[in-house]
Amino acid sequence: MSFTLRGRFESRLGAALAPLLAAFGLAAAITEWWPLALAGAMIGVGLLFDVAYDRWLDYQPGWAALPLALVELGAVMGVVYALGIAAPLDAAVAFFAGSWLFGQVLVHGVFPYTRLSYGEDGGELGRAGVALAVVVLAAFAFLGGVALAMQPPTVRLASGIHQGPLLLDHAQRLVGEPGAVVRGGIRITADNVTVRNVTVVGGDSGIEVDNARNVTLERVRISGAVLDGIHVRRSTVKIRDCLIHSPAGSYAQGIDISFGFDLAPSLVEGCTVIGGREGIVTHFAMARVADNRVVGTTLRALTLTEMSMAIVEGNHVEDSLGVGIYCGDYSECEIDDNSVRNIRPDQASGDKTRMGYGIVAHSGAAAVISGNDVSGVSASARAFLGARISAE
Amino acid sequence: MSRAQECAIVGGGLAGFCAYATLRLGGLAPAEIAVFGTDPDPAAQWRRRAAAIRQRRMRSESDGHCAPRSFPGLAVRAARRRRSPLPLVQSVFDLYHPTVEEFLAHVEELRMRSGWDDSFRRRTVKRIRAGDGGFELDGAAYPHVLVATGHPGLRLPDELAADRRAIHAYEPHEYAAEVEVVGAGMAAATEWVNALAAGSSVISVRRREPERRPLNLPRQFFTRRGLAAFHRSGPAARVDFLGRWSAPSYPRGRAWDEPVERARREGRFRIAAALNGAEQVICATGFKRGYREDALLAALVHDHALETAGTWIVLGSDSTVPALTDTERTLSVAGVSGQWAFPAADTLMGAKYAARGFLRRVQACRSR
Repeated sequence: MSFTLRGRFESRLGAALAPLLAAFGLAAAITEWWPLALAGAMIGVGLLFDVAYDRWLDYQPGWAALPLALVELGAVMGVVYALGIAAPLDAAVAFFAGSWLFGQVLVHGVFPYTRLSYGEDGGELGRAGVALAVVVLAAFAFLGGVALAMQPPTVRLASGIHQGPLLLDHAQRLVGEPGAVVRGGIRITADNVTVRNVTVVGGDSGIEVDNARNVTLERVRISGAVLDGIHVRRSTVKIRDCLIHSPAGSYAQGIDISFGFDLAPSLVEGCTVIGGREGIVTHFAMARVADNRVVGTTLRALTLTEMSMAIVEGNHVEDSLGVGIYCGDYSECEIDDNSVRNIRPDQASGDKTRMGYGIVAHSGAAAVISGNDVSGVSASARAFLGARISAE
Repeated sequence: MSRAQECAIVGGGLAGFCAYATLRLGGLAPAEIAVFGTDPDPAAQWRRRAAAIRQRRMRSESDGHCAPRSFPGLAVRAARRRRSPLPLVQSVFDLYHPTVEEFLAHVEELRMRSGWDDSFRRRTVKRIRAGDGGFELDGAAYPHVLVATGHPGLRLPDELAADRRAIHAYEPHEYAAEVEVVGAGMAAATEWVNALAAGSSVISVRRREPERRPLNLPRQFFTRRGLAAFHRSGPAARVDFLGRWSAPSYPRGRAWDEPVERARREGRFRIAAALNGAEQVICATGFKRGYREDALLAALVHDHALETAGTWIVLGSDSTVPALTDTERTLSVAGVSGQWAFPAADTLMGAKYAARGFLRRVQACRSR
């Protein structure tokens, strides 16, 4: 079609109304604002691209919609990353794709059907288009204003060493400048707290989250903790892109999420855990553990136990002692597409369940596995004490 | 003047048919519309011409149809009928061109559904006279009239008018052993391919190389993107524009090029600047042009001293005649004579452009 610039704007804004409302609904459902921020990024990037399209494209053939959408997607994700919008990649891509498809249906079917001169008007929607544009922009301004007003305050942590432990007992975003270090740990006891770009050194636990909901830890670096790198109790957390290095204590674990089975699932994604007794462990919790790298643990690399329900996918486990991935004690685990390498037998323990196995199900647990790449182990997968392992 | 019906459409061809379908969608009943024409089949004239040049596929694409809504287009209908997504995929790549049979079936189906035959009167309108609140057409009065009289006739070069070897491409004909095809547009290209397929040798007689483009005009001139600047331009610029873009053209593609190239290698196709005495001369030279060639339009201009520029009647951007259109009456021009408002007025898109403008005027008047 040969769009006019106004036609591009009106068609885009007309098609954006439903995704914007969906974003608002999603934001309300998950009590996070990133869907609205993502929708805003999509609309903003789209309108900017429309100006460029108008300059370069006298005519836009149907097939061009897909490559242009991919370029727009890249730009939207760039904006998402640059602005620090906490949208999970897969959810963001799915939202973009759904909105795009919906827009295609409107532009190629619904608008031409409902407005006789849609094509010859270059995509303009007449008075309805102006009204739609006003509604979308007003809705976005209103919802964005509400979102902004409800955002917790942002606290900037300046570069340099800050003596902890820090106590975060009200909603806030703690964002570290490059080089910001907290010595002695951080304790979070309030809902809606985000900690981003902060390095934590020492402390009993690097970051302790206690009885808090909707806590986000992004790009935190933790080293020298006496107990756990990240210690979560009765809380819901999203932990992304963290680095936990060599917890110091004999019983220290990289990330421990426990006793939140009745809460919303937690997420650990894109983290690297080096050393410690267990890399990532859940007790009586629901969690998704995805795309992490865990190396050099002395008990188990990934542990899902005590009636946990967990999805474990895309992780890389290497050079650990005894067991790579462990699903124990009546837990239910879906273990897909992980790579497990070089799990050494723990001869010293004398424990027959720890003889260098890639995946272990134990004590009535049920593990469903598929697509895992296991090598350098005594056995790929073993079940003990009434546990079951089944292939998907 | 006694008022007969709400609207009259003068011309029962495809442009008039598009206008009729648009008015029907806009809420007018068949009894409120009178259509004056010579053949109740709106595709009769077009069908004869397409058959004469043995046209098998339309130059237009999915939205080259007569239904007032552009969606669903012919590609969607074909996909549904054939139970195949192929037409849709082709349409995405601008490669879908409905067959002539598909197009004619669509016209027939729309004709049955729209009530066209209830409104059709087999009568030739010789004069349109403006009066208070409307127009008189051969004795009856109508507040809103759309003139869609079509091409004024086939154009034969003067030097061939009396030549017994010459026949127009749009008249039924077979092919002699050696054929000269005069012209370089879509009809000429179709005739090259047809004559070569019939075993003839072809000489393409043309004064200039044809343009190669998918549609009659670049696509932006089918929408407001290109039309806005066209409508802003002055009379001289518009005359220049219309003259420039009336140069012959036909689409790119192997279906056109391969038979010609093969024949060229075999010595059965060549290009010449002048006739050389071949057994048959096919004039793919299109139609007579300009309002003066159309008796009804010429009389209309004369009777009402309408503004003209070159061979065109000056129209408003919605295809209405400004001097004869106001809050109570509308005179619109659709089809090839409406190029002043829509350069590709002789296409189905152009017919619908004029029809929508006409409907807006009628509705604005009816709602008062």
